[in-house]
Amino acid sequence: MSIVTPVPPPTLPGAEVEIPRGPAGPRLPGPLLFLGRALRTLWSNGKARIGLVILAIDVLVAILAPLLAPHSPTATSFTPYQSPNATNWFGTTGNGQDVFSQMIYGARISLLVGIVAGAVATFVAVTIGLIAGYRPGIIDEVLSFITNLALVIPGLPLMFILAAYLTSRSVWTIVLVVAFTSWATGARVIRSQASTLRTREFVTSAQFSGERLFRVVFREILPNMTSLVAGSFFAAATAAVMAEASLEFLGLGDPNTVSWGTILYYAQQQNALLTGQWLMVFAPGLAIALLALSFTLVNFGVDALSNPRLREKS
Amino acid sequence: MRYVGRKAALFVITLWGAITLNFLLPRLMPGSPVDAALGKLASSGVVITNAQRQAVEIQLGVPHGSLVSQYGQYLNSIVHLNFGSSYSFPSETVAQTIGKAAPWTLALIGVTTIVAFIIGTLLGVYAGWRRGKTADTTVTLGATFFAAFPPFWLGLLLLFVFAFKYSVFPIKGGYSPGATPGLSPSFLADAVYHSIIPAVTLAVTTLSGWVFGMRNNMINTLGEDYVTFAEANGLRTRTVALLYAARNALLPNVTAFGLSLGAVVGGSVLVEGVFSYPGLGNLLYIAVSNHDFPLMQALFLVITVSMLVAIFIVDLIYVRLDPRVRQA
Amino acid sequence: MRRAFDFRMTTLSLAAVCLVGMAACGTSPNTGGGGGTLTIQGDAGNPTLVENFNPFAGSQLHGTFLIYEPLQIPSPVDGSYTSFLATGSKFTDPKTLVYTIRQGVKWSDGKDFTPADVVFTFNLLKKNAALDTKGVWQQITGVSASGNDVTINFSAANVPFALSIAQTPIVPQHLWSSMADPAKDPNTHPVGTGPFMLDSFAPTQYSLKKNSSYWQADKVAPSEVLFPAQASNQSTNQLDVVSGKFDWSYNFLPDVKTTFVNRDPAHNQYWFPPGGTIGLYLNLTKAPYSDVNFRKGLSMSLNRTTIATKAVNGYLDQASMSGLILPNLKKWLDPSLPNQGLVAQDPSGAQAAFAQAGYTMQGGKLVGRNGKQATMTIVMPGNFSDWVAAAKEVVQEVAAVGIAATLDLPQYAQYSQGIQAGTFDAAIGGYGGSGDPYTDFSLALSSTFAAPVNTPSANNFERFKDPAVDQALTTLASATDSSAQTQATYALEQEMYNKVPIVLMYYGGSWGLFSTAHFTGWPSASNPYTLPTNYNNSLLTVVTHITKK
Repeated sequence: MSIVTPVPPPTLPGAEVEIPRGPAGPRLPGPLLFLGRALRTLWSNGKARIGLVILAIDVLVAILAPLLAPHSPTATSFTPYQSPNATNWFGTTGNGQDVFSQMIYGARISLLVGIVAGAVATFVAVTIGLIAGYRPGIIDEVLSFITNLALVIPGLPLMFILAAYLTSRSVWTIVLVVAFTSWATGARVIRSQASTLRTREFVTSAQFSGERLFRVVFREILPNMTSLVAGSFFAAATAAVMAEASLEFLGLGDPNTVSWGTILYYAQQQNALLTGQWLMVFAPGLAIALLALSFTLVNFGVDALSNPRLREKS
Repeated sequence: MRYVGRKAALFVITLWGAITLNFLLPRLMPGSPVDAALGKLASSGVVITNAQRQAVEIQLGVPHGSLVSQYGQYLNSIVHLNFGSSYSFPSETVAQTIGKAAPWTLALIGVTTIVAFIIGTLLGVYAGWRRGKTADTTVTLGATFFAAFPPFWLGLLLLFVFAFKYSVFPIKGGYSPGATPGLSPSFLADAVYHSIIPAVTLAVTTLSGWVFGMRNNMINTLGEDYVTFAEANGLRTRTVALLYAARNALLPNVTAFGLSLGAVVGGSVLVEGVFSYPGLGNLLYIAVSNHDFPLMQALFLVITVSMLVAIFIVDLIYVRLDPRVRQA
Repeated sequence: MRRAFDFRMTTLSLAAVCLVGMAACGTSPNTGGGGGTLTIQGDAGNPTLVENFNPFAGSQLHGTFLIYEPLQIPSPVDGSYTSFLATGSKFTDPKTLVYTIRQGVKWSDGKDFTPADVVFTFNLLKKNAALDTKGVWQQITGVSASGNDVTINFSAANVPFALSIAQTPIVPQHLWSSMADPAKDPNTHPVGTGPFMLDSFAPTQYSLKKNSSYWQADKVAPSEVLFPAQASNQSTNQLDVVSGKFDWSYNFLPDVKTTFVNRDPAHNQYWFPPGGTIGLYLNLTKAPYSDVNFRKGLSMSLNRTTIATKAVNGYLDQASMSGLILPNLKKWLDPSLPNQGLVAQDPSGAQAAFAQAGYTMQGGKLVGRNGKQATMTIVMPGNFSDWVAAAKEVVQEVAAVGIAATLDLPQYAQYSQGIQAGTFDAAIGGYGGSGDPYTDFSLALSSTFAAPVNTPSANNFERFKDPAVDQALTTLASATDSSAQTQATYALEQEMYNKVPIVLMYYGGSWGLFSTAHFTGWPSASNPYTLPTNYNNSLLTVVTHITKK
């Protein structure tokens, strides 16, 4: 968590607003309908629209990589250190690989790490944060202790150690390492929101009417934090994309994979700026930035989805 | 007061947990410090011999004895703030090594973070207040775009363009070669000159977190009943925005600020690496890659304690700002 | 405030001047007068330099090599000796080495240098095992002085070990005898016999000034040597190097003609001679690598030229399987080895050799008698990018002969632990480079280093054992005449070539970058008097060779 931008505390939705009771509510339409409505609302938000378009392009490129890439991303058959030309649109690496094809295949790793690590981290954060926030006393103390511990252990060194300790270094290692080191911030934010919500009338009344813990937490509190959870996910996904790039850039990832991070790593190793292949540095960084940007922009729309006040006036 | 007391107890327990984890983690790493030290020789083209291995083992004085007795020694040395000397810098104490590096990190990243926080929060208040207007869109989109840049990448590009291509700024370091650190005006000017691109890199990439965190909080708070009530009572909107809404919207941002300030040291690794800045981040990278237990542990301790203190303070401020948590 | 502003202005205008004339800029103002300042890309400052001029420390600053002198310096290129504190040396018998010590030499504090200092230095290593990084006292039993001679007694015949004895830096008895803990002392006021003395130290740069009473002062052109610290970041160092800040730097550069030479064609020159050999080490305690035919098959499946191109940009060539670095050691090369020991890619020869080992090609897979495909995991440190590039090419090439190879890329410490314990399959590693065939062969092949698996050994980690090799090594160790030395070396080359204990692939480079703007006479292909390494004894050799322009 430490090597990335500080995670912005996501929106605090006002609980008094007539918020749709989330997907678990009894009078809700089917999940598909909900998703459709969610997407429509997202699409109606200008920023989220840009984000969705970028994200969709990334996903398409990742899926269609074998069709789109003009060459194999690993074949070392070209003349090394070529500047962009008709055959190699982004030039070639010092090992004679085609940078453009690497960029296309690289989308797969960045997306995979971002989404999977983001999801795992969010799952952990929500579970721990909600329970801690709703159950003051010993459970909260223990969970807060674990959260605080995870927060104070410096993230990047922890990643170093884990990356070195796990002998088989693959993309999945990075996913685990990133997820393991980036759940705590989300958990803390969710916990403080949950503890505030706990004292609100609608939760208190649910408690008094004798509903069970699980039900109160997941029916009454969680739906009020949809944007917080989604925010946590997109923040963690952004963090994961950045962390993957950083680990790879430092050579602590798996140099065998083709990702935007490893392109930057080899660009640094072969000093692409010095040999004039600035695209080898510029393109992967910009691609990482655009992917992170799309996550954030979609996040704007998610906020608006659950919090009508953030909706743009059309 | 009971709340504060419990937080203090928690602070101490967390400190112990962190100290113990700090002890265990480096020892879980495969490969000994001797192997790592030999690696430095090998990477400079020296063929390693058994004689060299023995000499290095003696030089490092690699710890023997059981984990339990090592743990005892470790706790003892922490109590006495005596970390011995590191493997990487055998001729000085760990405290000296860290003492030389700490001011650079604190100055560079501490200051940029504070500046980014202040500017970012103010921009966020403004954007939230002008929600939906062009000013809002410009501020948020711009900040979001810059936030998405990997800091090391932006650093690389700035370094290449401004330090190499056009030689406007120095390529590396915190001050000119040959200069002796001190507080003379010429040295300080030199240091400031060396810190400009690293500082810009960090500020640009961290600004946005504060901007849109604050903006969204503002928008929410502006919709709360008491703000509407204040507006209805005829208070000027600017007053409402700044005094009522901003104060409450600041709450979650304070949490994030404390955490981020504590993460300063950890976060400095990559940026300091790119600019070869003489701070703790660089030091940490060296310690970890050399399996330098004493240095690593001491650095971990510094980071851990600073983060714990930051969180503790944030907890206290939080109580002051939001009385609701006090009832817990 | 005003000062700060003024400072900025100066720097900016300086920068503007730099844009016009790159070469003229980086060099520091010439304060030494007379001979001029020599700027050498210095030690890695991590993040800043730590003052340490203890010549035995291992973490000493490079400038230490210009302050203290050894008895003699053997050329890392061909092993020939240059005299420093000894005027000559002779084995009176294979176990007794006598050095004649130079007279009229003074320590930089004015005291006389004597043979007693030499004896003291060796005894210092005996008393402080941490200082004995070359393992001198594992080979010798005593050292004594008589007149101008210092006699070293060996425990067993080991003529080639003179290489290590000769390079031991000599320290003054009158200062070091009272040092409390010589193993830990950073020696911040060094007094040596060398051409330079410590002038000033700052955390990012130190400077040495010429020792005017140096015994061969007329051969030393610079009046001052500056060592600005390197960054811990390799690519930053490369940017530093090409911006023309140094007279002598040591850095790999991609596409060196474009990135370095063309920036100042009149002055910038490079010399990238072979400084070692990179090989594919196979664990000889494991099947199928224990089978010499399998190793031969593997050796013949590789296109070493392609591997060298991928790994080191074609700056260096494929390595000779003789175990000698060519052309450096060509005077030792056995003329009966085919094509100077260079092994060409030969797929059908490889298949024949594999067949002898019981492996045949079945449907694109090399399958052994047990019906399983031959597999190989190649381990190397993930951040040694040239090794990784070479290994990637190896994986592709052995795939063509049906071997399923994968890469394992841990950090160095884990790699080192694995290879020394002997738990690896195959590993990329360095071989040779001492400039002396005996040292190279002995470290890599002597059965004395072949420890059992799980007992760490830094040498011969492939665990090769061969009585013929041990016999040849013993002969070479006690041989004092050149024909006996030549015959024993030929035998070792034949063993390396025929038994393939290590699949030697390509030469690792020594990345010398020079500017002739201030000094000329740098080592080069046409005058290879030493390797261009600026972090060891070559410093002393070079400063006594270069001349002011």
